[in-house]
Amino acid sequence: MADITYETCPTSAPFFGFMGVTAALCFANIGAAYGTAKSGVGISSMGVMNPQLVMRNIIPVVMAGVLGIYGLIVAVIIQGAITTPDNTGATVYSSFTGYAHLSAGLCCGLSGLAAGMAIGIVGDAGVRAVGQQERLFVGMILIAEALGLYGLIVALILSQQSYDCSANGAR
Amino acid sequence: MSDGGNPFGYEFMNFQRLLDIPMDISPYNYAATGTGLAIALSVVGAAWGIFITGASLLGGAVKEPRIRTKNLISVIFCEAVAIYGIILSIIFSGKLNIVAGNAFTNADWYSGFAIFNGGLTVGGCNLVCGICVGIVGAACALADAQKPELFVKILVVEIFGSALGLFGVIIGIVMTTQAKFG
Repeated sequence: MADITYETCPTSAPFFGFMGVTAALCFANIGAAYGTAKSGVGISSMGVMNPQLVMRNIIPVVMAGVLGIYGLIVAVIIQGAITTPDNTGATVYSSFTGYAHLSAGLCCGLSGLAAGMAIGIVGDAGVRAVGQQERLFVGMILIAEALGLYGLIVALILSQQSYDCSANGAR
Repeated sequence: MSDGGNPFGYEFMNFQRLLDIPMDISPYNYAATGTGLAIALSVVGAAWGIFITGASLLGGAVKEPRIRTKNLISVIFCEAVAIYGIILSIIFSGKLNIVAGNAFTNADWYSGFAIFNGGLTVGGCNLVCGICVGIVGAACALADAQKPELFVKILVVEIFGSALGLFGVIIGIVMTTQAKFG
């Protein structure tokens, strides 16, 4: 029988966990920044013609900001689960957990990026349209936010997966 | 191609090597690169935002000189992003220490990874935050030139944008609290 053994908790395991944290926050922030900037320019243009509508039309900006919050939530949850080596110097954090955290971060981050781009483009067009036709307001409430939420849900489920190399072999 | 005694008749790839790839680079390199990325990407974001805002602000101020002073707030929001970067990179550089004989423990490797990713998070978030605030600041200046009452309302959008840099700072600090060398 070919005996192939892989270290369950190698020293490099935290690298993948931390990359998950970075991916979650940075990609989600790219989406949030795109949504905020694109919608903000639309609001500024629309506000010149219709100043009283500006505060109502801040909604796309708020929804883009929420994507940044999703990234922050997942980043905080993941980095709280990355354990330091214990006092004997052995790594307790396993590769299994590291890869799960990397995938969770990528799920949330890339979904947030996609949702932010959608919110930006639709928000820009939406606020400019509402400036001219007020009946379009309800149509502008963005369904694109749900995309980021799907990413958050899957990331939270993935981040529950863990395996520890502690002395009693507990999960 | 079969090796001696292997009933499957072929060789398995050594996946253990894959797990050791991040350890080909020394923890000093990880930590120093993270420190450098924190300041470098933050400054790029701040500079990008400032030139986007500044160009529109100066162009609009030709016809409406009154917007000049109020809209410097947008430039200051972009500058704040660079300040976050420098604070975090000073914090990270304080954690760099020599390990005797380059005998790295698992805790040293952990610290190297943590500071690298902390710096990358801070730098990346500040980069996009600076660009976002710059674009909205440019739009704010031009809208203010046409209708003065719009300035405060579009400043609310800029505040939402500047929160993105703060998220990066929070995570960068929390990730590296337990990182220390030696």
